[in-house]
This record gives sequence, C-alpha cells and structure tokens, in this order.
Amino acid sequence: MRISDRISGVFLALLGAAAFWGGSRLPPVPGQQVGPSAFPMVVGSGLMIVGILIALHIGRSFEEQAEAELAKHRQPDPEAEAFQRSRRWFPFLPPALMVVYYFLSERVGFVPVAAVMIAILAFALNAKRRLILPVAVLGALGIHLVFVKLLRVPLPPGPLPMPW
Amino acid sequence: MSSSFLAAFPLVFTQDVIIAMIASAIYGMIVGALPGLTATMATALLVPVTFYLSPIAAIATIITSSAMAIFAGDIPGCLVRIPGTPASAAYTDEAYKMTLKGQAETALGICLWFSALGGIVGTIALLLIAPALAEVALSFSTFEYFWLAILGLMCSTLVARSSPVKAIAAMLLGLLVSCIGIENPAGTPRFTFGSTDLLGGIDAIAALVGVFALAEVMRALTQKDPPAIPDRKLGSILKGQIELTKRYPKQQIRGNIVGTLIGALPGAGADMAAWVSYSLSKRFSKEREKFGTGHPEGLVEAGASNNAALAGGWIPALLFGIPGDTITAIAIGVLYMKGLNPGPTLFTEKASSMYALYIIFLLANLLMIPLGIAMIRISKHVLRAPRSLIMPVIMVFCAVGAFSAAGNNLYAVLIVAFFGIAGYLMEENGFPVAAMVLGIVMGTMVEQNFVTSLIKSDGSILPFLSRPIAAGLAFLTFIALFWPLIAWLRRYKASLDAASPAR
Repeated sequence: MRISDRISGVFLALLGAAAFWGGSRLPPVPGQQVGPSAFPMVVGSGLMIVGILIALHIGRSFEEQAEAELAKHRQPDPEAEAFQRSRRWFPFLPPALMVVYYFLSERVGFVPVAAVMIAILAFALNAKRRLILPVAVLGALGIHLVFVKLLRVPLPPGPLPMPW
Repeated sequence: MSSSFLAAFPLVFTQDVIIAMIASAIYGMIVGALPGLTATMATALLVPVTFYLSPIAAIATIITSSAMAIFAGDIPGCLVRIPGTPASAAYTDEAYKMTLKGQAETALGICLWFSALGGIVGTIALLLIAPALAEVALSFSTFEYFWLAILGLMCSTLVARSSPVKAIAAMLLGLLVSCIGIENPAGTPRFTFGSTDLLGGIDAIAALVGVFALAEVMRALTQKDPPAIPDRKLGSILKGQIELTKRYPKQQIRGNIVGTLIGALPGAGADMAAWVSYSLSKRFSKEREKFGTGHPEGLVEAGASNNAALAGGWIPALLFGIPGDTITAIAIGVLYMKGLNPGPTLFTEKASSMYALYIIFLLANLLMIPLGIAMIRISKHVLRAPRSLIMPVIMVFCAVGAFSAAGNNLYAVLIVAFFGIAGYLMEENGFPVAAMVLGIVMGTMVEQNFVTSLIKSDGSILPFLSRPIAAGLAFLTFIALFWPLIAWLRRYKASLDAASPAR
C-alpha cells in the first residue's frame, strides 16, 4: 500500500516533535548535565528534519534511480499488479489475527484460536477448500506439541486441555 | 592459540551440536527454497528453539540454517525464475536463461559449488580479520564506540537501495523505539505511557519477527502463487564445476572479497553483495555482451559473493555488537542470551568458543554440497508445497515464537503485529527496514556511549574528536552523512553538462 511522501513526511516530523517534547519533560539526573532526555531529544530533532525533507520530496531521485534499476530485472506484469491492487487491504489480516490471538488465547486456549487463525488466513490465500480444515487442526496441534512438550513454552491450555 | 583451537573441537563434535546442525541445515534448505520465505525469517523463527540448546549448538543452528537458506534460494531462481530469497534476485534472470538453454544442472551446480567456496573463503576472512581487529578494539573507549556505532548506522543508510533521507528516517525510528523502557541513564520510565509491559522496552526479537516474518506473510496476500515447477530430468550437478573454477579464478576471488566486505558493512548483507558482485562482474567482463543470455561468469561471482557475505556479517557483530546484516542482528540477541556478549574480549576470554564458531562455519559449508545436491533432486516436491497453507502456519509460529522469546509474555504478540504493519508499510514506501532494525538493535549501545562520553567530557564536544581513532571514525561518519549530497551534486552537474552540449 502506497502512502504519499507528504503524509509520511509530516507524520515523521510530528512524531519527532512529540519525541522531542516528551524527552524534554523527563526528569534529569541530579548533579549531572546529561540524563535520559538527551538522546530522545537528539533523535526527535533528527526525525523532524528528515520528516520535513521527505515531505518536500528531497532524495526522491535516488529512489527513482533504484526503482529503474530494479525494473530492468523484472518484466511488467499488469495482471499481477491488478491482483495486488484488488487486495490492497488483505495484508492487514495477519496482524489483525494476531490481535485476536492476544485477546482470546488465554480464555479459549491456544489450539482452537490457532486453528481458526490458520483456517482464516488459508481461506484468504485461496487454499484448496478440502485441505484447509485438516491443516488448521493438525498445524495447531503440531505447534502446540512442539512448543509445550519439546520447548516447554507455557501456551495457554484453555478449557480443553491437550492429552500431553 | 593452538590450545584454544584444539579445545574447540570437543565443543563442536558433540551429539547435540551435530544433530542441531543437520536439523537446521534441512530446515534452512527448505525455508530458503520456498519463495517468500527469507534467510532472515528462518533465523528469526529459530530463536525460540535456540533457548533450549547449548550456546554452541544455538549459534550452530543460526549459522547453518542461514548458509543453507542463501544457497537454496538459488534453486527456484534457476528452475522457475523466482528467487527463493532476496539474495538470489540479482542473478535469477541469468540462471533461468541457462536453464532455458538446457543447462539447468550447470547453473544449479555453479550456485552450489561457488556458494560453498564463498562460504569457506568468507570464514577464513572472518578467522583472520576478527582477532586482528579485536587487538585494536581493546584500546577503544566510549568515544570510539560512539562513533563506531554511529558510523555503522550511517553505513546502513548508505547501502540501502532507496532514498538516503528515508533510510535515515528509518534508522531514527529504530533509535526512537530503543528509547522506550527504563533502560536509560537515569532508569526512569521513558515513553512507556504508564504501561508495565513497556517498562522493559520493546523486545527486539519480537520486533524483528514482526518486520521479517509477519511482514512477509502480509506481502504474500497480495501476490499470486508461483508457477509449478516443470518436470525436468537433471544430470550430474557438480560436473564441470572444477573447469569453471579454473576458468573464472579472478571472478571468484573478487566475489569472495567483495562479499565479505559488504557483509561486514553494517546493514548490508547477502542480497546487496549479490547485486554489487553481479554488476562488478559485468563491468569488468571481457564478454560483457553475453551477460543476461545465460552466461556463467556473473553467476560465479555473485554466487561466491552472497555466501561470503554471511561470514562477513559476523565480523562487526562479534567484535562490537554491531550487526553486519539482518541475520546477525538477530544472532546478537542470541549471543547475549547465551553469555557470549559481543566485544573484543570475546576473542581472548572465550577463544575456544570463537574457534568452535569458525569450525561450524566450515562444516556448514562442506555439508552444503551433499545436502544441496539432495535438495536440488527433491526440489520439485518441496516447491509444490502450497504457499497458501505454509503462510498461515508461519503466522502462528510468529505469535508463539515471539511469545516465548520475550519470556512468555503475551504482550510480544502485539509487538509482532505492530512491527509487522510497520515493516510492511515501510518496505512498500521505500523506507529500508534493515536501517530501522539496526537502530533498534544498536540504540541502547549508542545512547550509553553517547551519554557516558558526555559525562566523562563534562559536556564538552572536544574529546569526541581529539583521540586519533575517534577522529578518524568521526570523519568517516560525516563523509557517510554527506555522501548522498555529493553524489546528487555530481549527477546534477552531469545532467546540466548533458543539457548544454558543446559550447
């Protein structure tokens, strides 16, 4: 998903300003000139500068050059580009599923949540329908087995404890 | 030296290390061969496993799997013109053209043979350079470390194939992320917004899993499935490789040297090494017109280069804790966890562990040849594994892996999601994520040396520049900072000259 340089540049400059301001409010170390505020303020001012430069399209020519070089190695594929455009919002599905995992895994247990996550993403990736369910169940069980049994990671059991 | 060298053998030739190496070799081969799964991703997802291994076995898994993955990335490049990892992208076209000419086995053989040779030469370079540099580095104070870290960060912005301004922005974002938490000179909560989870800072491994693994899963959702591999009988893989080695000795050595150097440059890894070596090969070739038609020369040089870069990446990582590439950015976290804290003293106090590391590198590259041949033979079946089913499982691995790497903290899952989005959006918009990752990994080091130096110098800037090595490093840093401006001015002048010809 493309975001215009104006927007990302302004965002970065604002973030830098916030870091500068937040850093400047940190309490100093008694008896010392430099404390925890120095570094965020330096980084924040840097971000403000580059944010403004990006919003002004400075450095764009380097990007165009790199893109042109890359394009020489790739032939244009309008079909793939159209596909990419039609699925612009799909990439945000995996992080959304991770957030679902964060909120539900302890209540429902690892295996059911993981199986549903796998099934949803496999469906979004146009997997063969008859394979989705077995892979989701076996994948969730397999990961649970490896991490709980072999690596001793305490994955949430939920109301349905596993036999191992 | 010889005693610690001998002491290294029993460290490597134990049951757990050998099993770990073979298992991670197979894992690396498969991950590398599957398009869309990168060597860095393979390393990131290995981290939870390394917790349960001995220090040497843990390092062995990372070294072995990354070396295999970089080679295996060449296989789908040769056979279906889709690079398995970004490190193969530079010469995928060339390799595929060879396949079209009916020389698939020669192309694959070049990739395998020169990858292994490149890896071995890279290891020798690591073995020779790192201890020598360690001697020099022992006399470094916080001033030198400060400039070294800054220079490392600036290098990562210079080598990015994008706008240098955006690369600096990415690096600063990484540094800002490293500010979060209480690990700062005063131990006060900084940018934690009252959250107890943020007090410990952003877990670097979770962030890297997000940027390198989840972002890759996200990208897969907008890409079509790669085409199926055509049925093809492959002859002897290594046939004719000795002749090619004799025919292109200069190309191979140049590839090795350039690869090692680029690997050692912070932020630039195997993919950059392959791009640079391929174009160098073309520039200095006597048969330049043959490039792009299935000519082995560029393949030899770039194949030798990207595997040498892997070893090169460990030089700054082991010496200074500055990652040479994205793989060692992850490895540094594992080194700290295993009590092998990077630094010049590693080469004196833990010398036998360092020799063990070199031996593992050599073994991994030797193991690459038989395993690589086996992988090429079964690649048709491995590449048939549907991406639509692998990616969902990897997503769950991201969640569970980050959870366990962050000390079983569920909060890490949110960090993965956040950095997945950040990494995806940055990559799409020309912000190089490697620069941000270096910022995250090196932020604490930069700040500590910055603040300690300022306290030592009583707020004066002068001592930052008065020590000879510090001054030299500072000079290089400023060159790196202003290099894009110089390059732009030269290009601008050239375009002006072209616009007004023959006055």
